[in-house]
Amino acid sequence: MNEQDRKLFLPETMPFILLRLTMILVFLAVVYIFYDIVKKGFGVISFEFITAPPRSGMTAGGIMPAILGTIYVTFITALAGMPVGFFAAIYLNEYAKRNLLTRIIRLSIRNLAGVPSMVYGMFGVALFVHSLSFGTSILSAGLTLGLLTLPVIITTAEEALKSVPDAYREGALALGASKWHSIRTNVIPSAFPGILTGMILGLSRATGETAPILFTGAAFFLPRLPTSIDSQFMALPYHLFIMATQHHAVEKVRPLAYGTAVVLVTVVLAMNFAAIVLRAYYRRKLRG
Amino acid sequence: MQKLPKIQVDNFNLHYGNFQALKNIDLYVTEKEITALIGPSGCGKSTFLRSLNRLNDLIDSVRCEGKIMIDNQEIYSKSCDVVSLRKKVGMVFQKPNPFPKTIYENVAYGPRIHKVRDRKKLDMIVEKSLREAALWDEVKDDLNRSAMRLSGGQQQRLCIARVLAVEPAVLLMDEPTSALDPIATQKIEDLIRSLKKSLTIVIVTHNMQQAARVSDTTAFFLHGEVLEVGSTAVLFTSPKERRTEDYITGKFG
Repeated sequence: MNEQDRKLFLPETMPFILLRLTMILVFLAVVYIFYDIVKKGFGVISFEFITAPPRSGMTAGGIMPAILGTIYVTFITALAGMPVGFFAAIYLNEYAKRNLLTRIIRLSIRNLAGVPSMVYGMFGVALFVHSLSFGTSILSAGLTLGLLTLPVIITTAEEALKSVPDAYREGALALGASKWHSIRTNVIPSAFPGILTGMILGLSRATGETAPILFTGAAFFLPRLPTSIDSQFMALPYHLFIMATQHHAVEKVRPLAYGTAVVLVTVVLAMNFAAIVLRAYYRRKLRG
Repeated sequence: MQKLPKIQVDNFNLHYGNFQALKNIDLYVTEKEITALIGPSGCGKSTFLRSLNRLNDLIDSVRCEGKIMIDNQEIYSKSCDVVSLRKKVGMVFQKPNPFPKTIYENVAYGPRIHKVRDRKKLDMIVEKSLREAALWDEVKDDLNRSAMRLSGGQQQRLCIARVLAVEPAVLLMDEPTSALDPIATQKIEDLIRSLKKSLTIVIVTHNMQQAARVSDTTAFFLHGEVLEVGSTAVLFTSPKERRTEDYITGKFG
């Protein structure tokens, strides 16, 4: 180590090494979790596991009803969360005045992201299951998860809208466009990659949640597939929870639990990956 | 032939909250002439320019009083329709601001707002506007390319074409060349001179030579007031006010 290097070690090299170590640590943790799940669960993954219902008291067979249930619920979640979050973000960023009230609203929305998911679940029971009499159903669970996605969707969509240069807005208005026309044809298309990313990330978070669906519609086991949105359903995260902790033969079904985890993680990662791909695609398209 | 006043500003005041940005502005802009607004940063010339198409309306804290008449129509009256005002009074900004769309879509954006749907007609408008903005020859084979890929100077000419496509009568230019190199600047200046045939132009500039080169009339703004206004030739050679002379000779600014 020469004189120059020694001088720089404390102020420059040390922090750099520390930052890099932290990054490596996070990366290794993710890789390890992934490796562990796949190693223990990959063996049970088969065509039957994906396409058949559970058999013999959930000690054999597949997880198809849970996959299907998760897809149904995610669909309702998307239908509920995406438009509401999207329009709320547009209102907040483009129309709402900047004053104390909107600051409080913004802060509240950000804080919603920190509310424990079980609280969302209880709220869903009170509002959707009981007050609105939707019962324990795909609808109630989907709407509850929809609420859960709102803070993520609104916050990311607002950031995306905020990053659209004012010059685009002024340019359109100066040509005689109305405010909504400028937002619709200019601001939203520019912010779209970011908005879409937020939506998918919000959905992928909802897909993996157990607590909000626990009392709002998810079932331990159902002999039949759900037939409409007021049916109960099986879902991947809840099924995993059961297989890992509630089953009468937990040790015996452990491989099945890991297999379920592999499928769930794959679904969530696939959604996140789709978000990345779409964002890259639209960014490139905008840049030309 | 006596030229008509296109814009008449009568005792116009503008406040940002408690700060008065424009004080008792009186100004006549003659039709089909180029009027340059010069003055140090923060003197109110851009704010004034943005008052002429009511772009300041976007800022909540802005209040204004007084009268601005364009073609004898009071633009701050309740009966004035902002959409048609902005169609008549186009604006080119300091930093080229093409939309992240194709060249064609950029130029067609304005006509589309104003309900031109016919593809043939749009094609015609796009070509005409790009020709008027002296950009056609450079982009005609590539109208579907993203506007973001053009050079800064080309982007600014595209923005001019985009404004011309809605056939304004007045063109406001807010330091249109300050982000451009000298060659691109010269092209824009040539363009400004050629547009004078059909348009009334008000241009804000920090570049004294530019004001001297392109404008017919120059107004010198200081601390929110019009300190001196006159024919460019006279104002630059024998200004009445000492502070005007100090500014144009570079003693402050």
